[in-house]
Amino acid sequence: MMNPSIHLIRLPSLWLLAVLLLLALPVYVGVRRIFIQSRSNNCSAPQRDRDWSIPAIDAAAPKQSLFHSWDPRFKVVSLLIYWFCVASIKQLPLCLVAFVIALLAVRLAKIPVRTSMKRIAALSGFIGMFLIIMPLTVPAKSGDHLLVLESFQFLKFNLRGFSLALRIGLKASAIALMMDPVLGTSPFPVTLNALARLRVPNMIVQMISLTHRYIFVFHHEAKRMATGMRARGFHKRTDMETLKTTGNYIGMLFVRSFERTERVYDAMLARGYNGQFPGVAEFRAEHKDWLKGGFWVAAGLALIASDKLFHLQLPYGL
Amino acid sequence: MHIADGVLPTSVAAGSYAVSLALVAWSVKKTRGDDLPKVAVVTSSFFVASLIHVPLGPTSVHLLIPGLVGMLLGNSAFVSIALGLLLQSMLFQFGGITAWGANSLMMGLPALVCGWLFERTKGATLLRHVCAGAVLGGVGVTLAGIMLALLLFTSGEDFLGVAKIALIAHIPVIAIEAAVSAFTVSFLYKVKPELLKTAFQAVP
Repeated sequence: MMNPSIHLIRLPSLWLLAVLLLLALPVYVGVRRIFIQSRSNNCSAPQRDRDWSIPAIDAAAPKQSLFHSWDPRFKVVSLLIYWFCVASIKQLPLCLVAFVIALLAVRLAKIPVRTSMKRIAALSGFIGMFLIIMPLTVPAKSGDHLLVLESFQFLKFNLRGFSLALRIGLKASAIALMMDPVLGTSPFPVTLNALARLRVPNMIVQMISLTHRYIFVFHHEAKRMATGMRARGFHKRTDMETLKTTGNYIGMLFVRSFERTERVYDAMLARGYNGQFPGVAEFRAEHKDWLKGGFWVAAGLALIASDKLFHLQLPYGL
Repeated sequence: MHIADGVLPTSVAAGSYAVSLALVAWSVKKTRGDDLPKVAVVTSSFFVASLIHVPLGPTSVHLLIPGLVGMLLGNSAFVSIALGLLLQSMLFQFGGITAWGANSLMMGLPALVCGWLFERTKGATLLRHVCAGAVLGGVGVTLAGIMLALLLFTSGEDFLGVAKIALIAHIPVIAIEAAVSAFTVSFLYKVKPELLKTAFQAVP
């Protein structure tokens, strides 16, 4: 017996057709991409792997903006607080506000649209999964609104689940978009230097810096090895042979990296490495740095406060 | 799969940050001091290896390799994985920055378990190495999947459906990862067996 306080909204089956048509577009684009990929595979130009080239984190650093002129120490600390505040919001309108703030900040920091799009694209799989699964799997509670199609009674689309997924998507995007204004607006070594000034242990900062540098080196190496494998006629398929080759490929990558590690470390010692990299940046805190930092912390706290104090009633329990 | 921002309750996100930071400190302590720069360089190769995609029918999955990292680095694996995930979040947005602690636990704890078990089960022959590699490669992903499901479940019973499906999605990856780990271990055993003796370990 169904709980009487659950609102069932019956929709004619025509709605399903409309939704399917809407969904058909992205599916069509996806299939086309796969088709084009497999065709290019056939003409022995196998660019089957997606382009996993590693983006430069601080590509927008040489520009000028309010974010660029901001002391990285304040940037990192105040935005980290702001991020945690945004992550704790519970109401849909405030998630939307955080998202709009993020869009404005990206604009203000002069981050290229492409960079932001890439971040959102990386998130889209996760959010998409939530948007599809949550409405169908959330247990129905009293006060929920369920959409039911007349011909498919067993599929109950819970609007509360949809709203939950939507809020997660907005929050995740709001925080993801803010990554570039924080990390992308000063050269990466300067940001790391700021971390060291914030009493992050020196060893950890250096490890981040070294890892970041060698990612690009090993990625280059991995690509060269992949080219060599293709030149010898290797094609990725779903079979044991592919797994074996991949296993050897990874093993070779590790062997080379471990061997290189010794040489890199010896070279560092030869150049006088004593557990420290010389600092590259001088930091001087000015009033405006405190002001900007205060602004973001206040913004975060304001979002949380309004989340706790005001309760907007949205229709259909969104 | 890495958890994005805004999914976990703030208490869980902050709590896992604290636990992860403590484990990073412990892991650094367990590594010979001079070797930390080397761990960093090796971390980059794990980062790159985790970008390798293996085809699975019409789609492809990328490797998670928590098991392999654990087998090769032992106790240093946690700091390596935590750094790798921090950079993945910063460069690619794989995993949210506020969920970094949770993601590090999700991958780092299985790596520690696998490293510990590998140390005790690898024996001396190629066959035993390969068997241990295969089993632990699978175990690493299984544990990571279970951690992911548990973390999602901390957000409330509404997330049970998502947690279940995320767990199911890990099953094909377990098989692939077990096979790849076995082949990688067998390759390393033949080519450079000293790598399988947990590098960088601090002598107690």
